[in-house]
Amino acid sequence: MKRLARGLAEGFWTCLGCRQLVSVAPGTRSCLCPRCGARMHGRVEASLMLTWALIITSALLLIPANILPVMTVIYLGSGDPSTIIGGALELYHSGLWGIALIVFVASIAVPVMKLVGLVMLCLIVQLRLDVPPRQAMRIYRVVNAIGRWSLLDLFMISILVALVDMGAIAEVEAGPGSTAFATVVLVTMLAVRAFDPRLIWDVYESRFTAATAETDKNHHREYG
Amino acid sequence: MLTRSHAPVGQRLLCPRCGATLHRNMDRSVVHTAALSLTGLLLFIPSASLPLLEFSLFSFGAESTLMNGVESLFAAGYIWLASLVLFCSVLAPLGKFLLLAFISWGSGWSRMAKPVARALRWYHHLQEWGMLDVYMLGILVALVKMSDLGKMSVEPGLYCFVAMMVVSSAATVSFDAETVWARLARHARAGDSGAADTELPG
Repeated sequence: MKRLARGLAEGFWTCLGCRQLVSVAPGTRSCLCPRCGARMHGRVEASLMLTWALIITSALLLIPANILPVMTVIYLGSGDPSTIIGGALELYHSGLWGIALIVFVASIAVPVMKLVGLVMLCLIVQLRLDVPPRQAMRIYRVVNAIGRWSLLDLFMISILVALVDMGAIAEVEAGPGSTAFATVVLVTMLAVRAFDPRLIWDVYESRFTAATAETDKNHHREYG
Repeated sequence: MLTRSHAPVGQRLLCPRCGATLHRNMDRSVVHTAALSLTGLLLFIPSASLPLLEFSLFSFGAESTLMNGVESLFAAGYIWLASLVLFCSVLAPLGKFLLLAFISWGSGWSRMAKPVARALRWYHHLQEWGMLDVYMLGILVALVKMSDLGKMSVEPGLYCFVAMMVVSSAATVSFDAETVWARLARHARAGDSGAADTELPG
């Protein structure tokens, strides 16, 4: 099997901003991309640590985001605060299961899936798990793509707050949970950005090198 | 590592190792992007100034525009949430249109190379924060959710908003950074051959 040469070993870095391949002098820690001017690193420094930190932050923030009410609908003087799950359940009970499903997926399933995906990616890199890199890349792309949809509920709240504002008759108020939820979305989006997907290939590469060294050792005794 | 290569017009290159789309060359990408971003900027004016939805209950009525949701959140003290909504639904899409228009206009001149390169970098950062489509779904959910409480009606601003959203996605799809880089490189070579870039053979 013909192996593709690794860019890092050959002194080539890819700019994450514009995907330009740049040849770097040995020993350089970071430099500016000659084409777009973004700061470049061979690998994003402390990527794994930063990603873990952001994952833990957002996991902790998920607790207040789900416990505290995100919005209160006051109708004719009485109103009950509803949490994120409460809002989805309410829609389900009033028969709007399609909308309920959208809200559920966007505001509960997506943040949880994103966190699970990120934890899996970090574990793959940290523990050097034997996962096909294509599968790991698929996780990375899905996590990257779904992130923005969890802001759906917050946009809805912002629309309703302005729309339903009739003093004593009907009013929608935002709740403290919305701040926590907004922070969760922001932090997970930053976590995905902090993760350097090239690390996945480093793991694969190191396993591959180890495996070839092993077979070489069996074939030629002098190798070990 | 692959050396940089360009796909033939109208086709896409996939990375043999990870399966990512490397380059998707499209016919007349820059012209389309310029047209679409100008359309988006024009549509932004009515979408931001006209009301999107109207909610009425008994004899009371209230209208919602793109901005007054943010304003009421600010007024209620949710500054953090308000700025996030403001950024994702107004500033980022507007910035995206402006940057795209600037990039496709400026890439025709070799002396604009530096600002265009910087604009491309900003576009790359800003791209994922423009969430017009998510906002649109938020409007739909709000429309359905509140329909049993009072009377909801769609206002002309919403049509402009939907059109702006479609134009925004079309502009994102038609825009190809590689084409712009290739254009800049071509102009740089034609302009002065002395400005040697670290352009790799490929």
